[in-house]
Amino acid sequence: MVLTVLLIQIAFLTTIVKEEYETGNFVAILSMLLLILTLFFGYRYIDLHHTKYEYEKISVIVWVPVGAVICYLSNVYGGLGSVLSAGITGTVASFVPQINKESPYLEKLPAAIYCGVFVGMSSSEIIPSIGFVTAAGLVAGVFLLLSKNLFLGVGGKLGTVAFGGVIIVSLIYGLAT
Amino acid sequence: MNYLIFIITGILGAWLTFFLSERLKQGPVRSSAILSLIVSLFFYCFPDLCNAYLTKNIPFVFIGSTFIGMVSPLSRGNYIRLAVAASLFGIIYVNKAHFFEGYGGALGALAFIALLSSMGFSVIISRSPRLKKGIVKARKKVSRQKK
Repeated sequence: MVLTVLLIQIAFLTTIVKEEYETGNFVAILSMLLLILTLFFGYRYIDLHHTKYEYEKISVIVWVPVGAVICYLSNVYGGLGSVLSAGITGTVASFVPQINKESPYLEKLPAAIYCGVFVGMSSSEIIPSIGFVTAAGLVAGVFLLLSKNLFLGVGGKLGTVAFGGVIIVSLIYGLAT
Repeated sequence: MNYLIFIITGILGAWLTFFLSERLKQGPVRSSAILSLIVSLFFYCFPDLCNAYLTKNIPFVFIGSTFIGMVSPLSRGNYIRLAVAASLFGIIYVNKAHFFEGYGGALGALAFIALLSSMGFSVIISRSPRLKKGIVKARKKVSRQKK
């Protein structure tokens, strides 16, 4: 799982370096290489994971595609735009634990729904249908399930998980068509 | 100029989210979502306030930087590190590859890279005695000047 995240990050930074190389922006290339170096130090020396490996419950994970579909509908069909849709869905999701403050299950839902929201922020060119967004949400859910005790408390973990889901589903879609 | 605006937006987004999440105990999801909702609603209602490029991109930079602010203090989250990470985020955002445009979660992945890099940067500083000495000297100089 850590390797998948690392590969995603390397792919992301490599595409930036490639585009900047084509435009001849060598300052940006140097900055990106410096970034890769500091990223390496981050991975090498910072303790980001629990020693015990655990999985997230499936009853929590099913909310990832739900969040994705809600955000996608308000983004693409509602015409609200991705950030506004994410803000609305995320805010509503964050109040779910208020239904029963003592429930440990409800407490976990906002993060799962918010992870799905990032999948739903995709544009209609990348994710053309509801079926596609559900599939991407499910893959992101599987990643979230596997990464329960990884990258604890690091901002951007949910987004990276969602990004992984969208990339894999669009890759499969691209290969199939 | 756009660099500066994005960096300031990023720092504000990260700091406000961290403050709301940790000091006001609202939790990371609510802090990030509410702040993003406010900013995007503002630009949705007033689309002509800034130029088209800024109106389109400021909400994206802001929501991306709120992901940085979602860091837990247990994971070495503090305001200086957040400012460094948010500045990095702003710089990468301006140079980001068009290849991944429209992919959901790309901003989160960017925020993750920026945050982890800033953590790595602080590891480099803490492991280099020369840099450490330089920072201590600079701090002493600043505190003397204040007195």
